[in-house]
Amino acid sequence: MTKEKIIKAFQDRFPGKMEEFPFVGLDVALKVDEELILEVCRFARETQELSFDLLTCMTCIDYLDHMELVYDLFSFNLRHRMVIKTSLPRDGEIESATQVWKAANWHEREIAELFGITFKNHPDPRPILLPDDWDEGFPMRKDWEGKDFVRLPKK
Amino acid sequence: MSDYPRNNLDLPFITTEQTGTEEFIVNMGPQHPSTHGVCRLMLKMDGEVIVDVIPIVGYLHRALEKIAENRTYLQFIPYTDRIDYVSAMLCNHGFCMAVEKLAQIEVPQRAEYIRVIMDELNRIASHLIWLGTFSLDLGAITPFLYCFREREMILDLIEMTCGQRMTFNYMRVGGVSRDLPKEFIPKAREFVKYFKPRVDEYEAILTQNPLFLGRTKGVGILDQKTAIDYSVTGPNLRASGLRWDLRKEEPYSVYNKFEFDIPTGTKSDTWDRYIVRIQEMRQANRIVEQALESIPEGEIKAKTKPVFKPPKGEAYARVESTRGEMGFYIVSEGETIPHRVKLRTASFSNLAALPEMVRGALIADLVVIFASLDVIMPDVDR
Repeated sequence: MTKEKIIKAFQDRFPGKMEEFPFVGLDVALKVDEELILEVCRFARETQELSFDLLTCMTCIDYLDHMELVYDLFSFNLRHRMVIKTSLPRDGEIESATQVWKAANWHEREIAELFGITFKNHPDPRPILLPDDWDEGFPMRKDWEGKDFVRLPKK
Repeated sequence: MSDYPRNNLDLPFITTEQTGTEEFIVNMGPQHPSTHGVCRLMLKMDGEVIVDVIPIVGYLHRALEKIAENRTYLQFIPYTDRIDYVSAMLCNHGFCMAVEKLAQIEVPQRAEYIRVIMDELNRIASHLIWLGTFSLDLGAITPFLYCFREREMILDLIEMTCGQRMTFNYMRVGGVSRDLPKEFIPKAREFVKYFKPRVDEYEAILTQNPLFLGRTKGVGILDQKTAIDYSVTGPNLRASGLRWDLRKEEPYSVYNKFEFDIPTGTKSDTWDRYIVRIQEMRQANRIVEQALESIPEGEIKAKTKPVFKPPKGEAYARVESTRGEMGFYIVSEGETIPHRVKLRTASFSNLAALPEMVRGALIADLVVIFASLDVIMPDVDR
């Protein structure tokens, strides 16, 4: 599907809630409110003319005053891509996308552990990468201070 | 002997209640020869049948993403070698591509050709390691020796070019670090010619071997729908019948100039994953052959500023790594260091699908299924 059609499909279903943002080398990049994320994901996956069946990657970005979650989607049937973004407070809670794509399971566990975001209705919210006895907070946060961690000065 | 009790249940010290089956937990790993690294599997067993499995990862977590936020763009390139050390060239390539996309740098043609040659040679080397260790897990030692013989030649070719055998640190933003030496092209041509019949040799040992077929046919089925749901990519996805290869469908670098096929499987079992990788080695060899014939002369690196600062923005570059889609998502705030680098590695997603494949299988098959997935632990843990 063309860029305009995908964006229109989203804007018709969620009027005034989907906002475009620039992304190098990608046509469709939309930002959405955090409460709507599960509905938007379901819509992206289950609508015939969108059918985004592959969640390639899911990640989080820390901006100190808020966090941004990024969902990178692809459709094998229709061969188109898009990125969905949502922003939430730093200790925020959000619906788990595992209900839509199973691939989100491990990605969300990683994000929860490294960034400190809680995913509601996650089937298996155990930590995944850090040691069992880890008690030094959320290391991927921008303001994290570790014992031997020295930050490179910004230029 | 005639009055010896045939049925153990008749033995006076064993009662029927004691011999009934019950589910039990077996711990496998983290240091187990068949986990190809440090992966721990908690198995819930019913006799010899696996009821469920929980992979426990993270033993090789080095926080590469955090390191990336604390290094300049160029300083991070050597770290990408350590993501997937078996196919380090492809990691180099992916990261450089993401930065080039962000800063809109045009890479010279010769550099692109060199990248493709190195990628494909590295792909063959990686598949050879896989084939060797996979057959070793099945108990066949000969293919392992054959595979390492050919891999050695590839490593010699790469060493000739960049001086390293494992962690290459060869590619740069805008090109490659040094040109191919004079003797590379004739040597590589020799290798391509030598390698073609070698694949038949591996196939002669394994492909129709009844013991091999018995261990792999119909074992560890991962159907297409589940594979997509878990975002399994690469040879594992192609083995389940989906013709999807980034080199063909979304050609990056100069892949659109070469002719090659995308092998796919039909039954999505372990044998299909094997044959897909065997065919991929042939195709990679074909690409190297064509690239060696048509490599142009010219620059090997685009001019970049000594203090490299890409503009503000975000970009995602993906390459078809040997294990699937390898993605680099970079967020830049217009400084010398990236704001965020996300490494999307194929093994991470592929391993998450393991429980779906081993439920109901025998414990001996788990080793084969795990090996056929071709996960590499530093790629999972980053």
